[in-house]
Amino acid sequence: MRKTFLSQNPSVLIFIALLAVFTIVVTLLSEVTGVGLISTSFVKTLGKTLCLSLVAIAMDVVWGYCGILSLGHFAFFGIGGYAIGMWLMYARTEGIVMTSLASQPLPPTPAEISDAIGNQIFGVVGSSEFPLIWAFADNLFVQLLMVVLVPGLLALVFGWLAFRSRVTGVYLSILTQAMTLALALYLFQNDSGLRGNNGLSGLQNIPGFEETSQAKVSIAFFIASAFALGAAYIGFAWIVSGKMGSIVQGIRDNEARVRFLGYHVESYKLFIFTTTAVAAGIAGALYYPQAGIINPGEVAPIASIYLAVWVAIGGRGRLYGAVIGAVFVSLLSSWFTGGGAPNVNLGFYTIQWTDWWLVLLGMSFVAVTLYFPKGIGGLFDYLVRKPS
Amino acid sequence: MSMLLEVNGVSVTFDGFRAINNLSINFAPTELRAIIGPNGAGKTTFMDIVTGKTKPDEGTVIWGERNISLLGMSESQIAREGIGRKFQKPTVFEAQTVRQNLAMALKTPRGPFSVLMHKKTKANGARIEAVAEQIGLADSLTRSAGELSHGQKQWLEIGMLLAQEPRLMLVDEPAAGMTPEEREKTTDILREAAKTRAVVVVEHDMEFVRRLNCKVTVLHEGSVLAEGSLDHVTSDQTVIDVYLGRSHA
Amino acid sequence: MFRLFSLAVSFWLLLSSSLFAQSLQDILQTHAAEVAKPSRSSVSVVLDDLVASGLPQALPFLEAWRDREIVQRESDGLFFRSTETAGEVQLLDLDSGEMIAAGDQDLQKVRPNGGVRRAIGDALVQFQLSDPDIIKRQAAVDAIARSMDASQLGPLQASVAGETDANLKRVKQRLAGMLVATFGETPQDRIAAIEELSGDLSVDTRAVLNTILATNSAVSETLPEEGNLAKVLTIGEDISPEDAYSRLVAENLAPAPVSKVAIRDALLAHMDGGSVGGVPVSELGSDVTRARAYDRLAEDGLVPPRVSEAARTEAVAAHKFYLEYVESDPSVTDAARAALNGIETSVALSQTVDLGLDALSLASIYFLAAIGLAITFGVMGVINMAHGEFIMMGAYTGYVVQQFVPDYTVSIIIALPLAFAITFAAGVAMERLVIRHLYHRPLETLLATFGISIALQQLAKNIFGTQARPLTSPEWLDGALVFNDVIAISYIRIAIFVLALLFLMVILFVLKRTRLGLEVRAVTQNPGMAASMGINPDRINMMTFGLGSGIAGIAGVAIGLYAKVTSEMGADYIVQSFMTVVVGGVGNVWGTLAGASLIGFLQKGIEWLNPSNTLAAQTYMILFIILFIQFRPKGIVALKGRAAAD
Repeated sequence: MRKTFLSQNPSVLIFIALLAVFTIVVTLLSEVTGVGLISTSFVKTLGKTLCLSLVAIAMDVVWGYCGILSLGHFAFFGIGGYAIGMWLMYARTEGIVMTSLASQPLPPTPAEISDAIGNQIFGVVGSSEFPLIWAFADNLFVQLLMVVLVPGLLALVFGWLAFRSRVTGVYLSILTQAMTLALALYLFQNDSGLRGNNGLSGLQNIPGFEETSQAKVSIAFFIASAFALGAAYIGFAWIVSGKMGSIVQGIRDNEARVRFLGYHVESYKLFIFTTTAVAAGIAGALYYPQAGIINPGEVAPIASIYLAVWVAIGGRGRLYGAVIGAVFVSLLSSWFTGGGAPNVNLGFYTIQWTDWWLVLLGMSFVAVTLYFPKGIGGLFDYLVRKPS
Repeated sequence: MSMLLEVNGVSVTFDGFRAINNLSINFAPTELRAIIGPNGAGKTTFMDIVTGKTKPDEGTVIWGERNISLLGMSESQIAREGIGRKFQKPTVFEAQTVRQNLAMALKTPRGPFSVLMHKKTKANGARIEAVAEQIGLADSLTRSAGELSHGQKQWLEIGMLLAQEPRLMLVDEPAAGMTPEEREKTTDILREAAKTRAVVVVEHDMEFVRRLNCKVTVLHEGSVLAEGSLDHVTSDQTVIDVYLGRSHA
Repeated sequence: MFRLFSLAVSFWLLLSSSLFAQSLQDILQTHAAEVAKPSRSSVSVVLDDLVASGLPQALPFLEAWRDREIVQRESDGLFFRSTETAGEVQLLDLDSGEMIAAGDQDLQKVRPNGGVRRAIGDALVQFQLSDPDIIKRQAAVDAIARSMDASQLGPLQASVAGETDANLKRVKQRLAGMLVATFGETPQDRIAAIEELSGDLSVDTRAVLNTILATNSAVSETLPEEGNLAKVLTIGEDISPEDAYSRLVAENLAPAPVSKVAIRDALLAHMDGGSVGGVPVSELGSDVTRARAYDRLAEDGLVPPRVSEAARTEAVAAHKFYLEYVESDPSVTDAARAALNGIETSVALSQTVDLGLDALSLASIYFLAAIGLAITFGVMGVINMAHGEFIMMGAYTGYVVQQFVPDYTVSIIIALPLAFAITFAAGVAMERLVIRHLYHRPLETLLATFGISIALQQLAKNIFGTQARPLTSPEWLDGALVFNDVIAISYIRIAIFVLALLFLMVILFVLKRTRLGLEVRAVTQNPGMAASMGINPDRINMMTFGLGSGIAGIAGVAIGLYAKVTSEMGADYIVQSFMTVVVGGVGNVWGTLAGASLIGFLQKGIEWLNPSNTLAAQTYMILFIILFIQFRPKGIVALKGRAAAD
C-alpha cells in the first residue's frame, strides 16, 4: 500500500529526496565536519526553519485541506515548546544546583535540592514553590509525552466543543483566536507557574550534553528536525491522499453534503484538528531548544496568523506549498528585519527595511490573496501540467 | 405491508411562518413516489426534516422495521440508516474526480479510522464502475467533477445516491436543466432504483412526473392536499384551485 | 496702712491685669519660669492663659515658641523673638513687632522639648480653628483629621459655634463626631456619636470605627472572664496550627520548634570528623537520618530536643486563641460593630452600583468598537481584521487635529466628523480594491484584511513613532460625577456612554427609517433576492463598509480620549470586538448591544472577583465565551429561519 501511495504521489518522493540532500549538504558544510562554510548560528536558523515548515504543513492540512482556518496552531507549537522547555530548564538547573550543593559539608536532602532548584527557576517571579504542572518536570519521558498529549488533548476538547456546536468558517477562526489569546494571557501571568513573561530560557543547553559543543548539538537538532519534517510530510501526504483525503477535502468544499453521505463530519474534523495540533506540538518541542528561549509572546494570536500567512503565500492545499511558504517568508523576514536588506534611498526619504518590511509583507499578502490564491506553489502547476 | 417511513403530524415554524403544518405522509419499502406542489408548499422543508437538517416543533418521524424515531438523530446517522438525498442544486465535489466522488458515496464503513485504513478492493472498484455505467459516466471516471456538464453532474449525484445503497432515496428536482433524452434516462434510472427501495422524487415538471408513472402526493401550505395517481390528483378540484388560483393571482 | 497699701497695690494689679495685662509680655512674665523652661506638665497653665487672653499676637508667639525662635534677655527677663538677618541677630518685640538690635546682650534661648512642642501645636490648632482666614481654619481641621487626639475635641467643639462657613462647619461637626466616638467622656456620648456616624460611607469614618474596633490577639489556657472579647479563633479556620503554635512560642507558653534549617546548622556545628551523633556525614542526605543524628545530639544534651508534632498539636489544643478589643467597654464596641456592619452593607451596595457604572461604560466602549464590525459582518459576511486599525486611524486623526487646533473643544468637534470621513474613505477604498474581489471567500477576506491590518499598523508606527501620543479631552470633560464616597464616574466615560447611545439611535434610525437601511436589511437577509429587486448590492456593500469603518473612526476618537493613542491600540480592541459580535449574534444592532453589555459586565464582574489579576480576568472571560458559543452558536440574538440555516 505504501508503495502504491508513494508511486501515486511523486511529489512526496521528490520532497523527501530534496530534504535528504539538503540535510546532508548542510551537515557536511557545517562546523562539525570542520568545513565551517555554514556557521552554527545559521545551522540553528535552518533547523528552526525546518520546524516552522513542519508546523506550516500541519496548518496546511487543517486549513488548506480541511478548510478550518485555525488561528491556534502556533499555540499548540508553543505548548510543545513549553513542555520540553520545562524538562530542559529543570534538568539543567538541577545539574547546576547539585554541583553547587556538592561542595557543602552536609549532603543535601531532597527537599533542599527541590527548594534550591525552585529558587533558581521561580526566583524571577518571586516564588520558589514548584507549581503542580511541574510535577513531572524531572522526567524526560513524561515531558516528551506531554509534548504530544497536551496539545492533543487541548485540541480534542476545544475541537469537540466547537465542532459539536457546528461553529464553522470565520466564527471558528475567531474562536480559535480567542483560545490562543486566552492561553497567551494565561502564560503571561506570573502565577501561571511558567515564569510569566520571562518564559523559559537557557533551553539551548541540553542536560547531559554540557560538554558537547553547540555546533554538534545544533547539527543533531537540525537532523532531528529534518527527520520529523520528513516523517510528518509522508504521514500527512498519506492521510490527505487516500479516501480520508477525499472526505476531508469534501468537508472543506461542502460540509453538509458529506454529512448527508453518512459521514460524521465532526469526527473527521476532530481527527484532523487533533493530529495537526500534535504535529505542531512536536515541531515546537524541536524548535525551542534551538531557539534557546520561549516566552508567552511567542504564543500570541499574531503568531498563528503569520502561520496562515506563510501557508497562503506558499500555496494552500499542497504540502510542499506550506514548506515553501514557511521557508521563504521566515527566511526573508529575518533577512529584512535583521538589517540584511539594503536600505533604499529615494532622495527625499530612505526606506529602512527594518521599518517597512511589515508594510511590504502586509501588502504582498493582500496581493497574493487577490491575484495568486494558489500561492508560490501554484507556479509548479505551470511547470507540471497534469494529464487530464 | 409495514411502512418504511412514517411521518405523523409534523409541524415546523420559521419566525412565525408555518412551513410544515401537521404533515402526515408514509412510504412503503419499495415504492416510487412523486411529490409535487407550488413554491413554498414545504417540499424542501419536508426533506430537511426527514434527513435531520431541520428539527420539527412537533410530530413524529418513524423509520424502518424497528420503528426508530429519526428526530433525535444527526444527519450522518440518518444517512447511515439508509436515507440518501440529492439536492435541488447539484452538489458534487467539484475539486475531485468522478471516481473519488463515487468512492466517497460507496457503502463502506464511515468511521474515520476505517476510512484512514481503507484499502482499495476489486469489489469496490467493480461497484464504482457498475454505478458509473448506470449513470453513463463510465468514460469519465478520471475527470474532475467540476468539468462535467450540468446534466452529468445531476447524474453523478444520482450515482452517488445509488452507490450509497440507501433504502430511501429523496431526490429533489432531478430533471432540472436536462435535455429530453437526459430526462428519459433519468426516469429509467429512478424507476429501476425503485424496484428495490423507496424513491421519492420532488418535482415541478408535470411532464416528468407523468413519465415516472407513479403515485403522486400534492403538498400545499405544508400539508398533504391530495394523493393518488397523477390523473386522479390533477382532476381534484382543490388541486386545480391551488395551482390555477396561484397562476391567476 | 500696710494693708491699705497692699490693697491698693492689688487693686492696681487687678486693674493693670484688666487694662494693661493685655500685653503678651505681661502674661509671659507672669509665667516667666514656665515659659523659659517649659515642661509637659507646667506648660498647660501658660497655654490656657494665652488662649484665654484672645490676643492676636499670641498666635505668632506660639508658632515662634514651637519653632524655638524665642529668647529671654537675661538682663530683664523679657522675652523676644529672635531673627537673623545678614548675620546679625535682631530681636522682635512680641507685642509691637518692633525690631531691636540684639547687640551683645546676653540672650537665653528657650528650648521647649518635643512633648511641649506638641502641646503648643495643639494650642495653635485651637487658635487656627478660629482664625479669620478660612484657609488656615481648613488646614487646622485637616491637621486634626490626620492625627486625631482627645485633646482636640474641646477646641474643635468650641470652634463650631463661631464657624461662619457652612461647609467647614459641617466638616467640623463631622470631625467632632468622630472625636467623640473615639475619645468621648462617657460610653453614652460615644455610642450616640457612633450612631451618628453610621450613615457615613467615607473611608475616614470607616477608619474611625475600625480604630474603635481594633483588637489584640491573645492566647491563654482559659478564656478570660473579664475583658472585651472580640472573637475566639478556631484552629485551622481562623488561624493555622503553625501560626497558633508560633503564637504560643512568642508568648513563651511552649518551646520553640526546631526547624530543618536549625537541625542542619546544629549538625554542622557538632560535626565530629566524618560523623555527627554517630551518623556518618555521607548518610545525612535525608530528613530522617538528619533527625536521627540530631536526636542523638539532643540526648547528649548538646542541643535542645526536637518538639514532636504530637506535642505541638497538644500544646495548641490546650490553649485558647482569641482576639480582644482594645476598647474595654462592650457597649461601645457593639455599637461600633453595628454601625460598621451597616456602613459596609451600604458600601457594598454602592460598590455594586459603581461596578455597574464601570461595566456600563466598558460596554459602551465595546459597543462603539464593535458596532461597525457587526454591521459589515452582518451585511457582507466578512470579518474585517483591519477594523482595529480604523479605530487607530480615528484616534490619530484626533491627535493630528489637536496639533493644528489648540482649543480642545473645537478640535474634538472637528475631529469627530473628520475621523468619520477619513475612515469612511479608507473603508470604501478597501472594499473597492480588495474585499469586492473576495466575496464568498470569507476566510480569504479575513486574511487579506489582516494583511492590511499589519501594513497599516506598521505604517502608523513609521509615521507617528512607537511612543503613545496624547489625545487631550476638553476641560469640561475632566473630573468625575461623584454620587457619594464610593460611586463616581468620570465625565469622559459618561460622554462615551452618551456617544454610544447616540450611535445606537442613529444606526437604528438609518437601518429602520431610511431607504439605505431598508436596502441594507434586504441584502443582509437575502442578497440574491435583493439584487433581483433592483437593489445594487455593490453599492450597498460599499456604503455599509464605509459606514462601518466610519463608525470605527469615531470610536477611535472616543477611545483615544481616555486611553493612549498608539499604533497598537486597534489590536487591543479587535478581539473584544469580535467577541462582542460573536456573542451578540450577527447582523443585528440589538445583538451587538447585548453582546457588548454581556462582555462589559462580565469582564468587570470577573475583575471584581479577582481584582489583583486582570490577565486572569480576561482569560476566564474568553473561556466563558468559548463555552457560551456552545450553547448559543448563533449568539444571543440569532437570526432564525431558512436564511440562517445555511
